[in-house]
Amino acid sequence: MFALEDVHKSYRMGETEVHALRGVSLEVAPGRMTAVMGPSGSGKSTLLHLIGALDVPTAGRVTFEGRNLSALSSRERADFRATEVGFVFQKFNLLPNLTALENVFLPLLLRGASVASARERGARALDAVSLQDRKDHRPARLSGGEQQRVAIARALVREPGTILADEPTGNLDTETGKRILNLLRELTDRGKTLVVVTHDADVAELADVRVRLRDGKLEASPAAVA
Amino acid sequence: MYRNLFRLAVQNIRSRRMRSWLTILGVLIGVTAVTARLSIGTGVQVAVVKQFEAIGYDIVLIVPEGARATANRLTALPGAAATPAGGTFSPEALTGSTSGAEPAGAGTRNSLPGGGRAGAAPSIDVARLLEQVPELAEAGTLGLQVAAVKGSSESGYLRVVTPTTKLLDAFPSVLPGFKIARGSSFTDSGADQVVVGARAAATLGVEPGDTVTIAGRPFLVVGVLTSTGPAALGNGQRQPAISGQRVAREVGAASGTGIAAFRNLANTADALVVLGERAQAVWPSANAVTVTVARVKAEASVSAAVDDVRLAIAQQGASGTPISVQEIADQIQGTLGMIETVLASIAAVALLVGSLGLMNTMYTAVLERTREIGVLKAIGARDGQVMALFMMDSGLMGLIGGILGLGIGAALSLVAARLFGRAVGVGGFFPIFSVGLVAGVLGLSFVVGGLSGAWPAWRAARLNPVEALTSE
Repeated sequence: MFALEDVHKSYRMGETEVHALRGVSLEVAPGRMTAVMGPSGSGKSTLLHLIGALDVPTAGRVTFEGRNLSALSSRERADFRATEVGFVFQKFNLLPNLTALENVFLPLLLRGASVASARERGARALDAVSLQDRKDHRPARLSGGEQQRVAIARALVREPGTILADEPTGNLDTETGKRILNLLRELTDRGKTLVVVTHDADVAELADVRVRLRDGKLEASPAAVA
Repeated sequence: MYRNLFRLAVQNIRSRRMRSWLTILGVLIGVTAVTARLSIGTGVQVAVVKQFEAIGYDIVLIVPEGARATANRLTALPGAAATPAGGTFSPEALTGSTSGAEPAGAGTRNSLPGGGRAGAAPSIDVARLLEQVPELAEAGTLGLQVAAVKGSSESGYLRVVTPTTKLLDAFPSVLPGFKIARGSSFTDSGADQVVVGARAAATLGVEPGDTVTIAGRPFLVVGVLTSTGPAALGNGQRQPAISGQRVAREVGAASGTGIAAFRNLANTADALVVLGERAQAVWPSANAVTVTVARVKAEASVSAAVDDVRLAIAQQGASGTPISVQEIADQIQGTLGMIETVLASIAAVALLVGSLGLMNTMYTAVLERTREIGVLKAIGARDGQVMALFMMDSGLMGLIGGILGLGIGAALSLVAARLFGRAVGVGGFFPIFSVGLVAGVLGLSFVVGGLSGAWPAWRAARLNPVEALTSE
C-alpha cells in the first residue's frame, strides 16, 4: 500500500520555483481505482510521479508497504519501477523504433529475461489487451487507441500490483477513451491498484475513490464510493 | 541483457540512417588513415630490413666523397674532432670537398677514356687497406663509368659497371642482378670480355659471341644477364639509359651515399659489365666512380672497422668515406621514421575528428531522445543501462566505421605500394596486415566509438526521469 505523509514537492522551472505539492497526506486504497482530479497545474502528475518513484519529494515521505521510497538509491528506485508499478501515459510514450511486441517485452529484457520468454510473456500481455494481431506493427502504424493498449500491455507485462495512469484518455476520442477506461477498470476488478490522474468527469465516475487537488493541496478528504 | 541492448542500438542506428552513415564516414576516414599508415609503415620497415639483410650488415662500403652532407664529411675527416672551432676550413677539408665534387662533375663533362682527373686524390689501394685494417676479411671494388658504346644495331652512351673478380666472387649480394641468362661469366681476366645486361643487350642487338665496342675498343660478349633480377624489377619498364646526360646523372647520383648509390650500382639491366682488373688495365686513367666493398670479420666490431678504415684511407692519402650497411640502413630508417611520424599525426588527427563527429551525433541523439530516455527509466531501466545503450550505439557506429575503414585502408595501401613503392627507395614493398593490426584497429575503433559516446551517454543516464518524460 502507498502512503503519502505531508508530502511537499517543489522544483525549478527556469527562473521560478514551482511548488507543485504543498503538504499532501494520502493513503492509496489497494485493489481500488483512485481518480486524482484537479485543474492543470494543481500537482496531479507530480503526485503520480512520486507514487511511482520517478521522483522524490522535497519534504515528507512516500512509502510503499512501509518502505520510504526517498531513501532508496537511484538504482533501487529503477528496480522498484520495474517490479511494483506500471505507467500509462497520455502520449502513450512507446519507443518508435520497436514493434508493438518489442515495446511490450522491453521491460522484461531490461531485467535480464531471455528473448524467447520475454516474447511469450509479451504476446500474452498483448493478448490481454486484444492486440495480438498487431504485434509486429510499429507505433506509427497503430491508431491512438491501439497505441494506448500497447502501453497498457507494457505496464502489465511484469505483473505489478499497481498501475499508474496519467490522463490515459487525454489523447483519444470519446469512444476509444471509453474502451481504454473499461480496460483499466477491469484491471481493478481483477485486484490491481489503479491510480488515474484525470480532469475528465467520466473517468472519475468510474473510480472507487476520488481525490481532488488544488494548488498543491487536497481539496477535500478522500471520499470512498461503495 | 547486453545482447538486447545491442539489438536496440542497432535499431537506433538504422532508424537514423543518413546521419548514422555520415557519422560512420567520419570514423571510417580516421580508421582508413590509421590502417594505411600502419600497414605501409610495417611493410616499408620489413622491406628495408630485408634488403639490407640481403646485402649483409657485416659489409662496409667506401664511397667517393661527393654528394655527402657536410656533417658526414666532417665526421669523415680524421682529426676533425680535434680541430678547434673555426678550424672547419682546414686544407684537409678543402681537399676533401674539391676532390669529392669531382666524380659527379667529371662524369657529366667527360666520358671514357682519357679524362684523367688532375689533382684528384689517388684511389684506394685495396690490398694495402686489407693489411692496414685487420678487422677486414676481404674486399673488392666496383666501378661505374659512362662510355660510348657501339653494338650491332645501336650505339650511344651506356653505363659500364666494373666489378673486380673478388667482388663478383665474395659479394654477390652487392650486384644481385649479375645472373647469367645466356653464355657465361668472365672466363679470362686478361681478355677483353664483356657481360651485357638484358635490356642493354636488346637495345644494342648483341648476343654472346658478338662484339661490342666500348670507348673505341672491341670487347667480346661472353654472356647476357637475366632480365628478372631485383635491379630490373626496381627500375620498372623504362627504356635503357642510352642518353649520355641521363647516364651521367645516374653516375653522379651513385657517388652519393645512401640507397641511391646502391640502386644505381646494382642496376645491371641496362649496363655493360667489364671486369674491374681489365678496366684498370685498359683504361688506367678513367675517371670511374669507384666503391670499395669490404667484409668485416665475424668477430670484429663493424663500427670499429669503419673507424680504422677511415684512418687507413687518410694514411694512404686517398679519398673516400667508409660507411657501414648498418649506417645506411639507419639513415633510411631515420628518414622513414620522420615520414611515418608525420603520417601518424595525420592519421591521429583524422581519427580525432571522426570521434568528435561521433560525439556530436551522440549528443544530438541524447537531446532528441530525451523523452525516450524518460520512458526507459519509467519502465525500470537503470542509469547504467541507459548509459550502456548509448555507448553501445556509438561503439557500434565506431566498429562499423572500423570494419569499413580497415577494408578501404587496406585497399588504399595496396594501391599506394603499387604506385609509390619504388619512390620509397627500397625497390618496392608490400603492406603488411598482421593479426595484431586488424584486431587492434577494430578494437580501437570500437573503443574510440564508445568513448566518444561516453559523455553524451552519461548525460543521458543522469537525466531526471520526470523532466525527460515531460520534455517535448
